[in-house]
Amino acid sequence: MSKRFRNIFVALAIIGSVFSIGSCKDYLDIEPEFAQDADNYFTTPEHYRFALIGAYDLLQASFLHLWIGEIASDNSIAGGESVVDTKGLHDIDAMVHGAVNDELRNVFRWNYAGVTRANFILENRDKIDFIGKEEILAEATFLRAYYYFQLVKFFGGVPLVVDERLGADEVTEVDRASAAEVYSQIELDLNAAIPILNWTAPERGRVSKGAALALLGKVYLYQNKFALSASTFDELINNGGYSLLPDFNTLFAEANEGHSEVVFDIQYSGIEGGSYDCLICLEGNAAPGFHGIRQYKGPVYGDGNSYNLPTSDLYNAFGTNDQIRRDAAILDIDAFINSQPNPGDINYAVGGGGHTGYYNNKYIKRQGEIGAPDNDLTSPVNYIVIRYADVLLMAAEAHNRNSNDATALGYVNQVRARVNLPALTSGGSTLTQEIWNERRLELAGEGHRFFDLVRTGQAASAISGFASGKNELFPIPQIEIDLAGNNWNQNPGY
Amino acid sequence: MKNRSIKSLLLLVSLLSFHISRAQDAIIKGQVKDNNGVTVPGVNVLEVGTMNGVSTDIDGNYSIKVSNAETAKLQFTFIGYAKKEVLVGGRSKVDVQLESAAVALEEVVVIGYGTTTKKEVTGATARVEGEAIEKMNNARMDQALQGQVSGVNIETNSGSPGGASSIRIRGLSTFGDNDPLILVDGVVYDSEGLNALNPNDIASINVLKDATAGIYGVRAANGVILIETKQGDKNAKPRLEFSGFTGIQQAARRLDLLNASEYAVIKNEMFGTAGEPLPFNNTNLGEGTDWQDEVFQNAMIQNYNVSVAGGNKSSTYNAGLSYFTQDGIVGGDKSNFTRYNARLNMMNEINSKVKLNSVLLYTNEERSTLPENGIGSVLYNTINAFPTDPVRTADGRYSYLEEVSDIINPIAQMENTFNSGIVNKVVGKEELVYEINENFTVTGRLGYNYALVDGKVFSPLVWYGPGKAQNTAANEDLDPTRVEIADSVFIERGPSVFESRSTFVDVTGEAFVNYNKIFNEVHSVKGTFGATAFKRRGESLNGSAFNTPGNSEEFADISASLAEGGFLNNTGSYQFEERLLSTFIRGEYGYKSRYLASFILRRDGSSRFGPNNRYGYFPTVSTAWVFSEEDFFNKVKLFKPITFAKLRVSYGVSGNDQIPNFAYRAQLDGEGVYVFNNVITQGIAIGRASNPDLRWESTRQFNAGLDLTFGDPFTVTVNYFVKNTRDLLFQPEVSGVLGTAGPGGQSPVINAGDISNRGVELELGYQSDPTKDFNYAANFNATYLKNEVLKTPDGVEFLPGASFGVGGNVATRFEEGFPIGYFIGLETDGVWQSVAEIESSPVKQEGAKPGDLKYVDQNGDGVINFNDDSDLANLGSPIPDFTFGFNFNVKYKQYDLSANLFAAVGQQIIRNFERQQPFANQLDYVIDRWTGAGTTDENPRVTTEANRNTEFSDYYVEDGDFLRLRNIQFGYTLPEKWTKKAKARSCRIYISANNLFTLTGYSGFDPEIGSAGGPLAAGVDYGFYPQARTFMGGFSLKF
Repeated sequence: MSKRFRNIFVALAIIGSVFSIGSCKDYLDIEPEFAQDADNYFTTPEHYRFALIGAYDLLQASFLHLWIGEIASDNSIAGGESVVDTKGLHDIDAMVHGAVNDELRNVFRWNYAGVTRANFILENRDKIDFIGKEEILAEATFLRAYYYFQLVKFFGGVPLVVDERLGADEVTEVDRASAAEVYSQIELDLNAAIPILNWTAPERGRVSKGAALALLGKVYLYQNKFALSASTFDELINNGGYSLLPDFNTLFAEANEGHSEVVFDIQYSGIEGGSYDCLICLEGNAAPGFHGIRQYKGPVYGDGNSYNLPTSDLYNAFGTNDQIRRDAAILDIDAFINSQPNPGDINYAVGGGGHTGYYNNKYIKRQGEIGAPDNDLTSPVNYIVIRYADVLLMAAEAHNRNSNDATALGYVNQVRARVNLPALTSGGSTLTQEIWNERRLELAGEGHRFFDLVRTGQAASAISGFASGKNELFPIPQIEIDLAGNNWNQNPGY
Repeated sequence: MKNRSIKSLLLLVSLLSFHISRAQDAIIKGQVKDNNGVTVPGVNVLEVGTMNGVSTDIDGNYSIKVSNAETAKLQFTFIGYAKKEVLVGGRSKVDVQLESAAVALEEVVVIGYGTTTKKEVTGATARVEGEAIEKMNNARMDQALQGQVSGVNIETNSGSPGGASSIRIRGLSTFGDNDPLILVDGVVYDSEGLNALNPNDIASINVLKDATAGIYGVRAANGVILIETKQGDKNAKPRLEFSGFTGIQQAARRLDLLNASEYAVIKNEMFGTAGEPLPFNNTNLGEGTDWQDEVFQNAMIQNYNVSVAGGNKSSTYNAGLSYFTQDGIVGGDKSNFTRYNARLNMMNEINSKVKLNSVLLYTNEERSTLPENGIGSVLYNTINAFPTDPVRTADGRYSYLEEVSDIINPIAQMENTFNSGIVNKVVGKEELVYEINENFTVTGRLGYNYALVDGKVFSPLVWYGPGKAQNTAANEDLDPTRVEIADSVFIERGPSVFESRSTFVDVTGEAFVNYNKIFNEVHSVKGTFGATAFKRRGESLNGSAFNTPGNSEEFADISASLAEGGFLNNTGSYQFEERLLSTFIRGEYGYKSRYLASFILRRDGSSRFGPNNRYGYFPTVSTAWVFSEEDFFNKVKLFKPITFAKLRVSYGVSGNDQIPNFAYRAQLDGEGVYVFNNVITQGIAIGRASNPDLRWESTRQFNAGLDLTFGDPFTVTVNYFVKNTRDLLFQPEVSGVLGTAGPGGQSPVINAGDISNRGVELELGYQSDPTKDFNYAANFNATYLKNEVLKTPDGVEFLPGASFGVGGNVATRFEEGFPIGYFIGLETDGVWQSVAEIESSPVKQEGAKPGDLKYVDQNGDGVINFNDDSDLANLGSPIPDFTFGFNFNVKYKQYDLSANLFAAVGQQIIRNFERQQPFANQLDYVIDRWTGAGTTDENPRVTTEANRNTEFSDYYVEDGDFLRLRNIQFGYTLPEKWTKKAKARSCRIYISANNLFTLTGYSGFDPEIGSAGGPLAAGVDYGFYPQARTFMGGFSLKF
């Protein structure tokens, strides 16, 4: 009998022990270890700084803006391995792009990722107080303005999300704001940031007052607010301490980074390498590698993927007295090879995506600037978004179009004098056109051309296949319209 | 009064008779034979209703003492045979013939937390005996399962030694993890870790295919596989067994690639037609290098097992050791898999009511691997390498294959790859079974799984040629690259080593009660009730270190790193934990074994879901009707040959929780990294967006089946099933406005989308009279499966899958109305023959020139639209319509012959191993290229001119139908008179071949290419590491 009781006891103990675990409600309540949640963050100043780095990260999507700004224009063709290699760029090149385009979708998504990360800081702006918080918030505000400016430039009016993060179901409730509304948010953000930011950034790579003023002046110019634009640029020119680098040829050299002409540049590193699978994950600049010469074997340059190839139209646009800028902007590969001591040993391949004989010489893979350990993908070369020559030309245009040709001539002639070009003397609309031409030649290959053509109404005449009333804006990616509940209107013509 | 006294008298008599019978203990003797008339040693002989048992000796003889020779019932059990009960009925000698369980309806079927018989089972289940698995001589148990069971398809994801397979039970029912739940002796066994399980340790495999798997609730939607390992027998002397085989593997197929002369001619034409200089002045270059010859090699495979089993009155044991090693047909020992296994199964009766079952499995495995199944893999490089380049140049270095930047010399690649992993794994359980009385049994069980996984990758400084992405050195002198860590401060980046160590521990504690009683001899009632708690933890630490000395594997260890100041070295770690808490109940009812019904309800709680949706209920009902037992059945003449007929129907809901942990909340695990002061600076960013309402996906499954037996030898099983999965766990794309597209960002996991699998399974079995000298058995199974996506998440028209070529079109999709991962691209209609044809065509194809592929205008707008989806068509699916398995074995006296065939029909494969680059080598179909009007309507022209022939189209899609002789084995059992001299019970030797032939029209290495990259990458061939053809000789020696 006692044995039986013992057995029953054992049985009950087994059942009891398991069920007691089973009845323990807390058993399934486990927390992730050593991990932080989005909602219990911003409890120390360090948290703000870390989140700010996350918001800066999306600046590194710039290679895409650079490509599309050139390829969509009369400056270059898409190139690459074949006509289906990064197909979205080929469609844009031919001006046949539709609402299904991976590259445009990335422009849309990556800039919104930047907006979201800036908003993550700004929605938590009041959690704690500490010295230096205002500067961090000002930088986050600048970044949000920068990302929205990319969005409005590409797509026109887009949904405005400010100081909040949307949940998955809330996204169907937001509509596209008008372009004017987006621009006024950008102006609001930049005007808030400018008084707080310093002329000298606390670290290289962080934005300065100059960067914010330059962006604001540009934003005004894009809206044809010439007086505001001119005064904004004047403040920058008069107080910023920037100057043109005497040697045009070394403007984009890695060794020269952070020089006196850089107003706002995006930082890259060649240390980490990376893979083609996630270009947005790279810490190196993908553009120079993609621009590089395909299967190149020879001196000076590195191997690359023959993207974004300058056209002969651009090459021939430089006057005979403008060879400094031409040769700094465009590499004539065959001429280069023939000028070498051993041309027979140098070879390269022609990609199936097109060949012009020219390469983007400003952002190209050079042997001293190879990103380890991948050689052909990442580059440590920073992308200069706004340089002082651009500021001077924008300021010149703003003054000229605001009927102040004297100041305009002063600015534009500084730019020309640097490369030994004679001073301009005209005025009025002649000068306007001359400044625009100057922009093309000075800034060739830097990603500004398409947006300048659109902004100045010259796109239809300059770009073959450009449809007026349609191609001024890129289409909102169809999938983004669908995913947001199919409530948005597509841009006209798409 | 009278009545009462009679009763008293009866009582007295019965008491007396009890005492008398006690006093008259009888010894019963006998011999047990199988249906061949061969004596069977080791059979358990048990007096029913007692713990009194013995087992048969080497000659099949037993002797047991029973309390009452009249009423005692003896039960005879032995693995592989039907249980048999015999009334002694006063005899002193009881000889018994056991029937092989293969055809017997009394065959035990494991159904989860209990067993039933084949006769009474109400669900769609299948059982495979260990012998059938062992015979295949595969490294993994799942590979051996292919073709054995209908509705179960094994996708071999790599033919490399230790390469993984995916088990697909009744199709793909989810977007994510489709692996079934695998339990080894009741312990959860990770399907990824199946490499560790020795197929020779398996006694049987039971597959629960339908909703009756729902006893396992939230993890049962993909089906359940229950594996039992080998047990010992009571009262058996130690029985020692040795077995082993050794063999040689070779590549079964070579691709038909261009030789050097053909290559030169084709490439000259390619450049010539584009007006470019010809690359070859002389095209008479002979055969050149056959890279396949250089890369493929014969490779060894070996396996040895030793086991000992036995038991005494109250305990049994079965212990084994084994060694398995296999080199690769690509890379030899660079692609090796070696495994040591030790196993101990024990049963101890603590007392007459309580027994302890213990299982302990230990594995040590080591695997080295080469890059495979992708661009950059050894075989991809092999296929595309130029036959005009030698393996080594005249000065002894490896050739550079310079003209294509991402193709490297595959021989150099193999030599410079050092990639190995070691797994030490212990799996075990301790299980107490308490038989309270003849109706109630309580089981308490603790199962555990411990794995220590070490990985090491050594990356030497290597130079594959100018511009190769895989270069780690700065130049061909193997100088290290230099890294600027601060302004003008450079350090060298030398060879590096990456090491990781991870531990995974899971523990399952469960207890359940089984109830079993027959009322009034006709109402059989069974009940099961229990609870289980499961916990899994993983922890991992890894690091990489640079500048290890000597650029040699010899010093490849973090401890040897000479990197300055640790600027390059880095570390990482992770940990996770997940838990499950469940209760379950099952009731079974049978009336005269004729009407059968079962009901299951399981409640599961999973830590993978947030507090909003943590618990779920999973019910299943199943019924069966053995209509051959009905009177009317026996009256119908037509039914006369049918000895057993059963109709089964089941319906139920099961779940799937295979999503990342903590997906319901937003963590700061994104990537927020930027460069300040030229230094990479770490910040934070939100990773995956949260979804607090996340819940499991649920699969509703209906099954109707029919089991027929015609006499003893011929059986038929048919199943029809419909399996619909709802609330699919997805990470679909979400609106960019949510901001999840940044680095390290992820869409939230949401429940959206439906998938349907429906199909028919047929199994035919035949066993001739096994007592004859010549006898044979055969079984055939066929599965028809239709997979369809019924719904995609809102706003998502389709989910894109694998892309074609490099940076090319998306070729596979998850889209409503089509199978998962179907192929979509342009349809071709031959080749444009002339300018006139192009100009007069009603369909305008931009850029078309004579010799280009002619595409079909699907939407009829008169234009081939290359920049949208409007002219894309369904080009096929990687999922076979039909799969067939055929197994047979023939015995004649001492000789036996067996074979296993598998066929799959109706699936397609994307030929994606051709690098579409001017200088890459090509398959020899380009010899029949278009060269002028009327030359061919099949293959396009070859040219480096811009063209659209590399758009993804049906030109790159091939039928993947195949028939494969997976195994054929011829054995000879030595005559008993010889073996007896050696005191052996039996000795068998055999020769065997795996994958002796494969019939297919597919042009790649292997048509059985699996889905290594997940469901949406299935059927995309990047130069698949093929399954080897293996010739083996083996033996099995039993003492």
